[in-house]
Amino acid sequence: MEATASTKEWVRMERLSKVYPNGTVAVQDVNLSIREGEFLCFVGPSGCGKSTIFKMITGLSGPTGGSLEVMGTSPKQARKQSDTAFVFQDHTLLPWSSVIDNVALPLAIRGVSRRERKEEAERALELVGLKDYAKAMPRQLSGGMKMRASIARALVSRPKLLLMDEPFGALDEITRQTLQLELLDIWNRNKEMTVLFVTHNVFEAVFLSTRIVVMTPRPGKVAAMIDVPVPFPRDESFRTTPEFGQIVRSVSDALKH
Amino acid sequence: MSEKALSELSAGPGMTTRTDNAKPVVTGGKKREGIRVGRALPPVVAFILFIGGWELFCELADMKPYLLPAPSDIVRAATENASNLWVSVYTTISEAVLGFLLSIVLGVGLAIVLASSKLVERSVYPYAIIMQTIPIVAVAPIIVIWFGAGMNAIVIIAFLIGFFPMLSNTLIGLNSTDHNMKNLFYLYNASPIQTMFRLRLPAALPYIVAGLKISCTLAVIGAIVGEYIAGIGGGKGGLGYAITVAASRLHTAYLFACGLSASLLGIAFFLLVNAFSKWMLSSWHESEMNSSEG
Repeated sequence: MEATASTKEWVRMERLSKVYPNGTVAVQDVNLSIREGEFLCFVGPSGCGKSTIFKMITGLSGPTGGSLEVMGTSPKQARKQSDTAFVFQDHTLLPWSSVIDNVALPLAIRGVSRRERKEEAERALELVGLKDYAKAMPRQLSGGMKMRASIARALVSRPKLLLMDEPFGALDEITRQTLQLELLDIWNRNKEMTVLFVTHNVFEAVFLSTRIVVMTPRPGKVAAMIDVPVPFPRDESFRTTPEFGQIVRSVSDALKH
Repeated sequence: MSEKALSELSAGPGMTTRTDNAKPVVTGGKKREGIRVGRALPPVVAFILFIGGWELFCELADMKPYLLPAPSDIVRAATENASNLWVSVYTTISEAVLGFLLSIVLGVGLAIVLASSKLVERSVYPYAIIMQTIPIVAVAPIIVIWFGAGMNAIVIIAFLIGFFPMLSNTLIGLNSTDHNMKNLFYLYNASPIQTMFRLRLPAALPYIVAGLKISCTLAVIGAIVGEYIAGIGGGKGGLGYAITVAASRLHTAYLFACGLSASLLGIAFFLLVNAFSKWMLSSWHESEMNSSEG
């Protein structure tokens, strides 16, 4: 992905490092620039520091070395502007609130009016195909539907930067593939949204992303950056093309180093 | 269900066994009905045998009623003094309920304050634990000195005894909020007050409910202990007061009736609170939903 003059730089890492107090080097000297409209996957085995990078971008933990800018400012400041949204492996839906109330939560916290909250939440639910389940309680939903609701909650605030930490990690393979397609479809309709996606699944990374950051552990650093120059929209048939196989192989090779 | 609730009363909340659910599903209502009768039968038979044996023993051994009244004497004492007994029960109920409500409000309230600041929690909570270890019978006379004998002192004693379980249960609940959920609220820039009332307090509900179940029976005991020490007569004394009077007059049959009323009162209060908590949790708490079946 060549940067053109018009694309904005949403995330900028320079020699970014994180050393935990016990001496573990979780992330070492990562240089990375993420531009608007990218769908970027961090892929690597557990302990490679991909989740640590994710935490630093959200501002949940601070770097111990190097610099990190999100949307031109510090991670915490970026979060305050409410242009970022989050999806975790755990759906983290409030069990005592209905689906629509859960989806509207980020807006409720921000003090958005009830009417606007309802409109935006319904729009987000429609995006993920859960319109008919607005009044349902989370426990009535299947695992895949819970994750859809969780994604709707992230989309409700119309984020510019969507951060996803292994969102489909707990789902079965069939549901996982359906949700991958749906996520690409949502992203395809709003290309201004930049997605950072953490996964340990190589196939998932290749299917979804425009660019893959391959990470290796001990110490966690970037082993390779691999572009996926396949145009969108992509559909199921992409999974069986020779091109797909080639990129999977080069990612897998990079992981072995 | 009530049998299960009763076993919970003795075992303490959170210790219910799931034997009902572990059993294979019984098809056909008749068989299930049969199981229910079969289960209720042994305690009923044991009860009848026990009461009958007791009555017979008193009859044959020619027991003096002030030493051991026969069951029929107890029933007679209760019906003859029904209006007095009812006044006593009513007084004790009001004291226990008031004390219980106070312990909920102040217990949950203080827990919210303590959970809002680790510093406050660390400085205050140890003293709350120490306070808890002072026996209520030692505290009660001080309460009487401060607030005078009568209703006020009794309500405060009932409150004190139920307060700590409410406080500690709520505090544990507030401090055990799911880590990912807390992160979510933090990432969406929720204020500490929003996090408290939208997340931590509702998430603590099962713990609060466990506290309610402990405190409600304690409040009845507290009210009766309070009446022992701070009870006033004048025809409006509660069960504790009635027990002391009956004992001093060697009116043993009525003493038994009062004791049994106190026990029934405690059970009724517990079942009421238990039903209320089930209803409250049913809106969201899955495990509670499952265990209320059967």
